[in-house]
Amino acid sequence: MPIPIDESAFGYLLARAGLTLTDAEKAELKSVCDGIATMAERVRKPRGRMAEPALTYGFADEDLQ
Amino acid sequence: MTTAIPTIAEAARQIAAKKLSPVELTKACLDRVHAHDERLHAFVHLTEERALAEARAAEAAIMASGPKGPLHGIPIGLKDIVDTKGIPTTCQSKLLQDNIPDADATCAENLNAAGSVLMGKLTTHEFADGGPSFDLPRPPARNPWNTDHFTAGSSSGTGAAVAAGMILCGIGTDTGGSIRGPAAYCGIAGLKPTYGLVSRAGVAPAAYSLDHIGPMAWTAADCALMLQALAGHDPRDPASAKRPIPDYAASLGGRIMGAKIGVIHHFHETDHKVSDDTQRAITAAIDTLRSLGAEICEVQLSPLQDWNACGSLISIVERAAAYEEWSRTRLGDFGERMRTRLMLGAFVSGVDYLQAVRRRRELRAELKAAMADLDVVVTAVFPGEAPPIDALPKWDVFQQPSFMMPFNVAGYPAMSLCSGFGAKGLPLAIQLVGKPFQEATVLRIADAFEKATQFRDRRPLAA
Repeated sequence: MPIPIDESAFGYLLARAGLTLTDAEKAELKSVCDGIATMAERVRKPRGRMAEPALTYGFADEDLQ
Repeated sequence: MTTAIPTIAEAARQIAAKKLSPVELTKACLDRVHAHDERLHAFVHLTEERALAEARAAEAAIMASGPKGPLHGIPIGLKDIVDTKGIPTTCQSKLLQDNIPDADATCAENLNAAGSVLMGKLTTHEFADGGPSFDLPRPPARNPWNTDHFTAGSSSGTGAAVAAGMILCGIGTDTGGSIRGPAAYCGIAGLKPTYGLVSRAGVAPAAYSLDHIGPMAWTAADCALMLQALAGHDPRDPASAKRPIPDYAASLGGRIMGAKIGVIHHFHETDHKVSDDTQRAITAAIDTLRSLGAEICEVQLSPLQDWNACGSLISIVERAAAYEEWSRTRLGDFGERMRTRLMLGAFVSGVDYLQAVRRRRELRAELKAAMADLDVVVTAVFPGEAPPIDALPKWDVFQQPSFMMPFNVAGYPAMSLCSGFGAKGLPLAIQLVGKPFQEATVLRIADAFEKATQFRDRRPLAA
């Protein structure tokens, strides 16, 4: 289960992102933080350190010149 | 109801035979824009004079030496996140109201080179995300089948304009379903190609590694004709694939006897149960495909929620990164829905993001294995008919897993096709998913399905 975010962590993350929100926006955002944490839990699987990420890009021509 | 609006294939044949004038075709489309767009809001910017000039030039060229291809003289539209030289490209945002690009996006350039007639720029959710919003410079598009209902997004204007016959085809973009969704709710065909097949250069990003550009048209055959002009390597797009491009139209019309089709039953029957109407339409579509000779089997993948968690985390972070500068300095200039989506980026850590990208590799491998002996897989596009436009949950990303996002995560080609009509008379759809760069197979099966059913004979009242 995701750990609920507390006020200080919530404020810190918004400040680090440079976002200035109204109180109403903060309240709404806080109400959906658990949804993000749940998603973050879902993508964590026991996969070991050697499991690579998906790559989007290969080498373009300009990388090989 | 009317069926007077030609498909691209029909119009191209008549134009080539000099039985249809591109000028008259363009004027007919403009007439429909003038008759209906006050209610549909499909266009952000109508380029009427340019369209007529291009149509006259096409007509003169065709009369002199014949058409250069099936799109020559065909009226099209571009989603308003596609850069167009000298034409406003606003992304439906207050932030870009004065933006006039000095170069075309590659997809716009390719369609122009094919001789198409640009009718204008089409409504989108702001920066292709977060809609429908009622606080943007222009109102959201309305569904031509019932204007009280949603078009889906974010290629909302393209879906509405094609369905209403204002254009014969248009560009959509798809980060988590934005081609297939509006195609489904508006009752048209929409193809999200394989990642890298169609250049993203000059198109505003929503999430770099999930963004796809593709065709939206009335039929699968028309999508094939449009894809032919769009597909190909582009050094301006770092993810552009170097692959041979087949003749997509040549793949159509063939039999699908022996085609192997998997059905991901658990996506739409368990993970996110669809309405009875939608379930009946999916079952009927599978029966139709079986009657055409396809072999049907069941496919099991990870739960839909896993695919959506992966895609949503990637999407949230990539969007927040793309628009970080404006988020920090001009957050209040975004519409409410886009603003709130951008805020989410603060709550996904770098490690969360990379775990999602690692999960993506696993999920893609899983789909590859599941499709090893198959040609396509089938699932739903939406759980039901288009909902009323004023009754949409703001945070559906957490509540309703998307049937489309898995194929943005995998980068596989996926297509929405009309598969009937629900109790409210609105379109229903199925989704066909192919293997990477196997668009020809998807289009062939889609075309066979459309020709075996009568759903292409019915146009919305607004048309």
